[in-house]
Amino acid sequence: MTTRSQPLPFEQPSFQLFLQALMWVGVALGIGVLAVAWPAVPRAFPEAWNLGLRAPIDEFQRWVIANRATHPVFVFGFTPLSRGIDQALRLSEQMLLRPSWYVLLLIFGLFGYLAGGVRLSLFCAGSLLLAGLFGLWVPTMQTLALMLATLVLAILIGVPLGMAAAASNRLDRVLRPVLDAMQTIPAFVYLVPVLLFFGVARVPAVIATLIYALPPIIRLTNLGIRQSNQAAVEAAQAFGATRWQILRGVQLPLALPSILMGVNQTIMMALSMVVIAAMIGAGGLGREVLVALQRLNVGRALEAGLVIVCIAMLLDRLSAALTRIDFAAPVTTQRKDFLAHWPASALAARLPHDLAYYFQTYGRFINALLLCVVVVLVDVLVWGLGSFPSDWRWSLREPANFAVTWARDNLYFITGPLSDGIIYYLLNPSRDLLLNHLPWPAIILAIAAIAYASGGLRLALGTAAGLVMIGLLGMWAPAMETLSQVILMVLMTVLIAVPIGVVASQSPRFSAALRPILDILQTIPAFVYLVPVIMLFNIGRVPGLIAAVLYALPPGIRLTQLGIEMVPKVTVEAAESFGSSRLQTMIKVQIPQALPSIMLAINQIIIMVLAMVIIAGLVGGAGLGIEAVRGLARNETGRGIEAGLSIMILAIILDRITQAWARSKT
Amino acid sequence: MPKLRRMPLVVLLLTMALLLAACGTQTPAAPPAVSDAPPAEAEAPASPPQTPNGMTITLAENPWTGSSVNVYVAKILLEEQLGYTVEVVTVDENIQWSALASGDLSATLEIWPSGHADNVQQYIVEQQLVEDLGPLGVIGKIGWYLPTYMVEQHPELATYEGFRDPELAALFSTAETGVAGQFLGGDPSWVQYDEDIIANLGLNLQVVQSGSEQAVMAALDAAYSRNAPLLFYFWTPHSVHAKYDLTEVQLPPYTDTCYDQADTGGIACDYPEDVLFKAAWAGLQAQAPSAYALLSNMRYSNEDQISMIAAVELENLEPEDAARAWVEANEATWRTWLPTN
Repeated sequence: MTTRSQPLPFEQPSFQLFLQALMWVGVALGIGVLAVAWPAVPRAFPEAWNLGLRAPIDEFQRWVIANRATHPVFVFGFTPLSRGIDQALRLSEQMLLRPSWYVLLLIFGLFGYLAGGVRLSLFCAGSLLLAGLFGLWVPTMQTLALMLATLVLAILIGVPLGMAAAASNRLDRVLRPVLDAMQTIPAFVYLVPVLLFFGVARVPAVIATLIYALPPIIRLTNLGIRQSNQAAVEAAQAFGATRWQILRGVQLPLALPSILMGVNQTIMMALSMVVIAAMIGAGGLGREVLVALQRLNVGRALEAGLVIVCIAMLLDRLSAALTRIDFAAPVTTQRKDFLAHWPASALAARLPHDLAYYFQTYGRFINALLLCVVVVLVDVLVWGLGSFPSDWRWSLREPANFAVTWARDNLYFITGPLSDGIIYYLLNPSRDLLLNHLPWPAIILAIAAIAYASGGLRLALGTAAGLVMIGLLGMWAPAMETLSQVILMVLMTVLIAVPIGVVASQSPRFSAALRPILDILQTIPAFVYLVPVIMLFNIGRVPGLIAAVLYALPPGIRLTQLGIEMVPKVTVEAAESFGSSRLQTMIKVQIPQALPSIMLAINQIIIMVLAMVIIAGLVGGAGLGIEAVRGLARNETGRGIEAGLSIMILAIILDRITQAWARSKT
Repeated sequence: MPKLRRMPLVVLLLTMALLLAACGTQTPAAPPAVSDAPPAEAEAPASPPQTPNGMTITLAENPWTGSSVNVYVAKILLEEQLGYTVEVVTVDENIQWSALASGDLSATLEIWPSGHADNVQQYIVEQQLVEDLGPLGVIGKIGWYLPTYMVEQHPELATYEGFRDPELAALFSTAETGVAGQFLGGDPSWVQYDEDIIANLGLNLQVVQSGSEQAVMAALDAAYSRNAPLLFYFWTPHSVHAKYDLTEVQLPPYTDTCYDQADTGGIACDYPEDVLFKAAWAGLQAQAPSAYALLSNMRYSNEDQISMIAAVELENLEPEDAARAWVEANEATWRTWLPTN
């Protein structure tokens, strides 16, 4: 806690402890009284208090539809804008589709080589080859084009906004809740509005993806500039540099790693939207997944899902490699390979000194570029092979479908009762508690009390206001249904993720084996594995629970592992020198020291779990998920927005409580 | 001077991008077309508008096979008989409406009235931004289905009265429903009166929302493989009927008077037949009259559509190839769709 100069009586630790205990007893009593002695308090939030947001939103939507073709805002604003984006997208799609397949393989391989070396190069080329072998060359290129265009837009919008937010505290304060909302409102909710403004197919898909994927690049640009070395900035000021010069010459270069990290995050988030974007006509790999599942062809969906994973890993590794690259490294430290010699170095030898410098420093880039040009020219003039040959096929469909059938026929005797047990002993009691036993004021009081304990009065008041807001939106009952599931999802994820993370931190081999699995879990669209999960666990709340746990496991495991690995070696060695066993060191030293990181893991788990609420709704999970889906499905945007806002409020409340809790432990 | 040092890199990358772009566009259009593999199912990246015949026709393909084959039949005819350029956009059936209203989509060819009562009311009747293009010719029907083996074991289950018996209904119970039998609801976009029907007929059932069509199909596949009981909301024509032997539960027959009580929750009868219809952007007739005429005239039977669906689902043809086979075999049918002048 904070240090005080002169401890007053009521600030003494013992007195504070007493106050806290008193408060908890009061809260418990309050809940008890509300629950038992005052049965007149309604369990459900009073319907009469509903704000009635639905009608005006739906009315606005009608107005937009009616005036879309004539109103100047659309004729001169949105329509030309979306035309422009559409042209750019078609161009980038053609850039990827026109050259023969081997050209792209070579270019991506070369790019991977420049950025990371032989392994990355093989991985990049291999991913594209796999897409071709699966017969998914064209959809892969469409998705890739969409991702690249989204990325360019994200950088063009995100970096300047992040810079502005770093320069102005006021803008930062305004931006923060907006970014929170963009990240936590499910995309399902704004698909229809985006479509209204930007038409159908590629453009709305890019916009919807941007809404979800933009926040990290803004946040990390902002953070990077704010954290840039104060001394360097002051030195520049002392030399009379203007603010703009400082920003460009000092702060931006210093913030570059952070910005590139933001780019990396943005790529990963954009790829998680591939399937949802396909619902509004984006085509590509997402469409493949949707069409395959419509025919219950899990094998085909799995192939498309694996290519999505490969693209995600490819872009992730490439952008991560970029964060490590030193663009202007001295020539002597550069790798000596086939790219380092002719013709750039030969040119460099003949040029005047200042030009030669560039040709030496960027020699490898220049050679790589020349190589690309040669390959493209060969393709155009001599050896055009066109699209990937259709008779080169390698398919996972048969084995995957066989595995699904086998699991369906042979594992149900375990999974069926397991699913029933989860419903009877976990899901039903927690739902009953929130929906039937506790009246709504008691629930608000209890959650606000938890907020108070972790973050103080302001957080408690904010929490209570947020919960009341959910009631006012008319979403109390579905929100409690969702909350009852979310609590269990988080608990189960933590129970699985923390031990695995601990083991992974102890065994590098286990950790290495785990890595690709976690990568796949994080990036494969949940739709792909939901069909077999439904077959094994019956339709209802359990498949959604499993999907959420699988999706939230990777960050949970990774952050736990990271936290334990960051415990200083000295501390561990000290404990060992006092004769403590490995287990003792783990329990008494490493885990307590890693607690802040584990708290952060729990925080991430909560956010990821809430991102899966919609998916849960799509497989029988009820709650806010199905409300949001209905909003889209029945042309009731108002209802969808109410559900989406409720999900956002729940996410922000749980996020702030766990963040405050994590901070209080450091 | 870091910024100066980076300049050439930026220039390099830009030239690279421009070169690629130039090569991309300069390549004669021939290679992609001639190449041995026409791009699998995905729509070829058509260059935007401008055909001799006016606008590019954008057709909505909803993600089910019936819709795909309709769209490709129309695409083949529009392109080869009338000389339009057709772009196919795969889009969710609910999302397509606002795009139809704005003209971003030209037409959609298979709307199930039961699933879109609100949309029809808003877009076609009230705002008149979307135009009804008449029936597709295929007749659909929503109903309550169960696997036929259930009816063989318990013949009473062939009609709704069987579900009044708590013991029979309890056969369908799951952990989600406790003692009552489970009725698995349909895709959330579809009109569903099942809760009313169950309450008004006094059946021992409880509705569980399935959330999506795929989820229902997965549940059906699992139940069927185990000979387990399952009662669910489904419809015909659909490819599942070719794969599983299903029986429709007889509900009290549909009447208009029964449906007059829909708003008060009084429905106690079967779902009506669905006359599947086509719809277009209201401006289509003015912009592309012959396309409008062809799409309005387009009409074929359940058998026509089912033959193509079977080719796609059972013989693993691409929808475009199945549609081409149908077009080649049924010239007499589609000749009548072509505009007369």
